Amino acid sequence: MNRGEFSFKRYRKYIIPLLLLAAVTEGAAIVCGATFEKLEDGLTKGIVFFRFMSPPDWPAFSEMLQPAFQSIMIAFLGTVFGTLLSIVFAMLASSNLAPGWVRNTARFLIGLERSIPEIVILLLLIAAFGLGPMPGIIALALGCIGMLGKLLADTIEELDPVMMDAMESVGANKMQIIVFGVLPQIMPNLISYSLFRLEINIRLSVILGAVGAGGIGYELDYSFNMLQYHRAFTALLVIIAMVFGTERLSYMLRKNIKMEGALK
Amino acid sequence: MIEVKGLTKSLPNGRKLLDDIGFKVKKGEFVGILGPSGAGKTLTLRCLNGLLKPDSGSVIVQDEHGQKHDICKINKKELRHVRQRIGVIFQGYHLVKRLSVLENVMIGRLGQISTLRSILYGFTDKEAEEALMALEKVKIAHMAESRTGNLSGGEMQRVAIARAIFQSPTLLLADEPISNLDPSNAKIIMKLIRPLSENIPVVGVFHQPEMTAKYCTRVIAIKDGKMIYDGDPKLSNKRLEEIYGEELGQLEQYEYNAPAPLVKEEIRLL
Repeated sequence: MNRGEFSFKRYRKYIIPLLLLAAVTEGAAIVCGATFEKLEDGLTKGIVFFRFMSPPDWPAFSEMLQPAFQSIMIAFLGTVFGTLLSIVFAMLASSNLAPGWVRNTARFLIGLERSIPEIVILLLLIAAFGLGPMPGIIALALGCIGMLGKLLADTIEELDPVMMDAMESVGANKMQIIVFGVLPQIMPNLISYSLFRLEINIRLSVILGAVGAGGIGYELDYSFNMLQYHRAFTALLVIIAMVFGTERLSYMLRKNIKMEGALK
Repeated sequence: MIEVKGLTKSLPNGRKLLDDIGFKVKKGEFVGILGPSGAGKTLTLRCLNGLLKPDSGSVIVQDEHGQKHDICKINKKELRHVRQRIGVIFQGYHLVKRLSVLENVMIGRLGQISTLRSILYGFTDKEAEEALMALEKVKIAHMAESRTGNLSGGEMQRVAIARAIFQSPTLLLADEPISNLDPSNAKIIMKLIRPLSENIPVVGVFHQPEMTAKYCTRVIAIKDGKMIYDGDPKLSNKRLEEIYGEELGQLEQYEYNAPAPLVKEEIRLL
C-alpha cells in the first residue's frame, strides 16, 4: 500500500467533525457578539490601562498585608471545616460503611453540591449572614464537600475489604473500625486532598472577597471602584504572590506526603 | 468447643455451595480443612464466625463463660460479643498497615472494651504489656513500634497471630494462613499455631496436605460443598487423589460447562 495515500486517508474521518465544530464556534461568537475587532480594541485599551495602573502604589502595600492574611485565614477555616464535613459525607457515601440507600443519597448530595458554584452559595449566605468573612467561610466549607467528599468516598471504597472483615471479626463496631482502620489508612489521601483544596480555596476566597466576603478581594474591588488604579495594581501583585506562594508550599508538602504515603 | 451441624448454602440460581456440612472440634484439636479450589472451604470458615449466614444449619460456640451460642441465629449485638473471643487469621494478613505493630495487636481487643474508652484513652499499661507478651510469643516483640506496612509477609502473618492470641480466644479460625508465604515462613506459622490448640479448638483452611499431615490432629476434606473425609491427618495417596485427583480433569471441563469456583471477592458478597 502507498504510505502517503494511507496517511492522508486516515485524516478524512476528522473533516466532518471539524467543520461542525467550526460552525458551532461561529454560531456561538455571533450569539455573544464576539468579534476579532472587539478583541483587538480591548487589547489596545488594556495595554493603555495597564500603563495607567503602573507603577503600583507601594505605600499601600502594607495596608494590603492584613486583608491578604484575612483571605488566607478565610480559606484556611473554610478548608478545615469543609474537610471535617467532607469526612462525614464521605463515610456516608461509601458502600463499605453505609447501607445502599444512605450511600446513594449521600452521593447524590455530594454531586448536587459539586454542581453549585461557591459564588452562588455565597450570595445565598450573604442574604442570611450579611457581608463579611463568615458567609465566605461557610461557602468555602460547603464547597469542599463536592470535591473532597467524592475523592475520600472513593478512597474509602477502595480500602482492603478483608482488613475491615478482620476488624469486624474481633467484635469491633463501626465506630471503632472507622477510627482504627479507615482513618489511619485514608490519612495520606485526606491530607493531600485537603491541602489541594486549600490551594483552590485561597483562589476562591479572593473572588468571594470581591463579592462581599472581605479580605484582599474586597481591596481589589474597592480600589477599582474608587478609581485608585495604582492601589488596585498593588492588590493584584499581592494576590498573585499569595496564590503562587501558597500553591508552591502546598505542592511541596503534598509531594512529601505522596512519597511517604503507602495507601496501596 | 465448636459444633457445626447441617450447614447449607445455595446461590439464588440453585447451585449448592455448601451441602450439609457438620463436624465437632474439641479443645486440643487442630483441624485442617482441605479440598480443591471452590469446594467451599472458605465459605465454611466464614460461617463459623458469622461473616456469612448459611441458608440452614447451626454453628454452636462457647463464649468465655462456657455459655453456648448459635452463631447462625443470634442478633448483631450478641454476634459482636461472641466474636470478641473468636480469633481469626486471614490469608494475606489484612492488618491496618499504617498503624504500628503493637496497635494492630491491640485491635484484637477492640470488641472487648467500650467504644468511648477505645477512642478517648485507649488501652491500659497492663493491656499494652499483654500485647507485648503476645508479640513475644510470635517472636517479633522487637518490632512493636514499627509501621506494620514495612513488615514482610511472614512477619505480618505473625502479627495477625499475635492479634488473635491477644484476644484470649476460645476458638481460633485460620483462613489459608500460609497460602502466600514461602515454605520456611509457612512452617514457622504452623509451628506457632499448633501449640495454641492445646487450650482451644483451632480450625484452619489449607491448601497443603503435607502441612496438615505434619501439624494438624485431624483433617476434614470438602469437595463440591460436601464433606468427603473426616479423620486422620495423614492421608494416603489414594485419598488425596479422591480429594484433589480430578482437578486436572475439571480444569478442562470449566472451559465448557462446569461452573467456575467462586473467587474470594464473590464469597465476600454472599
